[in-house]
Amino acid sequence: MTVRFENVTKTFATANQPAVDQLDLVVGDGELLTVVGPSGCGKTTALRLLAGLDDPTSGRLHVDGRDVTDEPPHRRDVAMVFQDLALFPHLSARENVAFGPRVRGERGPALDRRIEELGDRLGMRAALDRYPDQLSGGERQRVALARAMVRSPRAYLLDEPLSDLDAQLRVRARAEIVELQREIGATMIYVTHDQAEAMTMGDRVAVLAEGRLQQVGPPVQVYDEPANLVVAGFVGSPPMNLLDGGSTTGRLLGGRPGEVVGVRPEHLVVDPDGRLAATVVVVERLGSETVLWVVGSDGIRLAVRTDPHRAVAPRDTVRLAPTPRRIHRFDAVSGVRR
Amino acid sequence: MKLRGPDRGAIAFLAPYLIGTLALVLLPALLTFRYAFTDFTGLGQGGFTGLANLRRLYDDPFFHASLRASAIHVMIAVPLRLGLAVGLALLLAAPRRGGRWYRLAVYLPTVIPDVALALLFLWVLNPVYGPLNQLLGLLGLPQPTWLAEIAGARAGVILMLLFPIGEAFLVVLATRRAIGARLYEAAALEGARPWQQLRRITLPLLAPVLALLAIRDVALSLQSTFVPAYVLTDGGPLFATLYVPIYVFDQAFEFLGFGYSAMITLVVLAVTLLLVVGQLLLVRRWRAWRVLR
Repeated sequence: MTVRFENVTKTFATANQPAVDQLDLVVGDGELLTVVGPSGCGKTTALRLLAGLDDPTSGRLHVDGRDVTDEPPHRRDVAMVFQDLALFPHLSARENVAFGPRVRGERGPALDRRIEELGDRLGMRAALDRYPDQLSGGERQRVALARAMVRSPRAYLLDEPLSDLDAQLRVRARAEIVELQREIGATMIYVTHDQAEAMTMGDRVAVLAEGRLQQVGPPVQVYDEPANLVVAGFVGSPPMNLLDGGSTTGRLLGGRPGEVVGVRPEHLVVDPDGRLAATVVVVERLGSETVLWVVGSDGIRLAVRTDPHRAVAPRDTVRLAPTPRRIHRFDAVSGVRR
Repeated sequence: MKLRGPDRGAIAFLAPYLIGTLALVLLPALLTFRYAFTDFTGLGQGGFTGLANLRRLYDDPFFHASLRASAIHVMIAVPLRLGLAVGLALLLAAPRRGGRWYRLAVYLPTVIPDVALALLFLWVLNPVYGPLNQLLGLLGLPQPTWLAEIAGARAGVILMLLFPIGEAFLVVLATRRAIGARLYEAAALEGARPWQQLRRITLPLLAPVLALLAIRDVALSLQSTFVPAYVLTDGGPLFATLYVPIYVFDQAFEFLGFGYSAMITLVVLAVTLLLVVGQLLLVRRWRAWRVLR
């Protein structure tokens, strides 16, 4: 089943800028779309509009070809997992999962069985009879997921559900969510501010900034061909080096005045014959790679990704060569890719 | 124990209350306990009479009438006061135009001195020119003579005490506002209608606070009948509003039965304690209790 935002705008009464600005976006059947952007970019608002928790100022929302713009939340048949998970504190994990079915009048052994199956599937059956304040962060997140899954909705909307987990647990949980999504074949929109999460999880990635959709496409495409400066600067860690095409360093990378030159850290290669000379400021050894922060002759700072065991220290001078055809050019005024 | 700076400061701040509690509450309480077993009249010494006061109490029809009046009052007034406070608080918790003025209006009667409110109700409940009966007349409803009837007098006192509910109102308002909006959104997504949200989220989460307020209001309502009964009815008609505090006062200051009234006070204290402990035991069995504790 598909989800479609049709020219959706939301302006809150207290704001003078729209939180979501003319959003046009289609999510395909069984697709996992990640929506990423800095905080305040409108990604959560977009999700809330689709869930029916807020009403759009203009535009239409479609679920499976049906216009649901004027439908109340529970008729849209979408489930949402909130960033704070919103578990009911006075109900056990089992009662939390059963909440929706119960308010819709479902009870009995069939429901109990379904909940226990979900508990097994999500590996938290033992936690079912505990209360939210007795659960670990990972268990809470699973309960929230089970609460969304229990009624087999048409689409899942996840709003940074992993943000309260520690880094290790997070990496594991995100793989589990992807696996689960493949298994049940559900359409899923996953909102995050973590670009690594967005890139690794999504079939496609939608980058949002200032309420506007900047780019949407497969992760590799967004990474290799960022549509504009916002995307270029947001996706990738460390981010793409962006410099004035008219500067000394910029010209050495093939830039021209009036444009911004971009080059990813891994596309600056340490090479004794390189055109670009720079001084190493910081060496970040990450084990699998080493990131050098260097300063060019004109004071411009660049990140360089290099192999982990390279013998280099701060204050060393290195020569750098850009990988051919890996230079990105953006219009200095509009920011659009050239 | 050696005191360091901040502790000394804290004690200095607490000292007035400590002295006040000792001199104005604890000491009189101890004296009451002693007087309860004497025939002290307020003059002279009074001799020790053992359990004579308790025996007298047991056979005193007026005491039984006053206990009955108080019990009826508590049983009706507490649920009504609490229900009203909760209802208004939930109604006015959501931000809306002019909401603050409504909230102010609910709270305002609480700061009116009891006596002033009682005098106001003397006028409100006047069967001839009181606004209440004029309104009832306009609506074609029966116009009781209020304070001259047994049920009318009890209802009149309850009616007056339905207004000073600002404290419970504020507590419920604050508690309701502390419940995250996200919980209601999650419930709405699951298809819970407003009344289901009230029953399955709001009330369970308010329960611990409601229980505390109910316990408090039982103790309070046993006491707060004094001023309205004193000003409106003086215990009448036919002892219908001879609430326990009025009877204690009458015994002590009208009939100079200090010893006897001290015993009544003790008995009422014991009854209040029993009620409060009973409610607490009941409430502790609720699951919701552990959430906000």
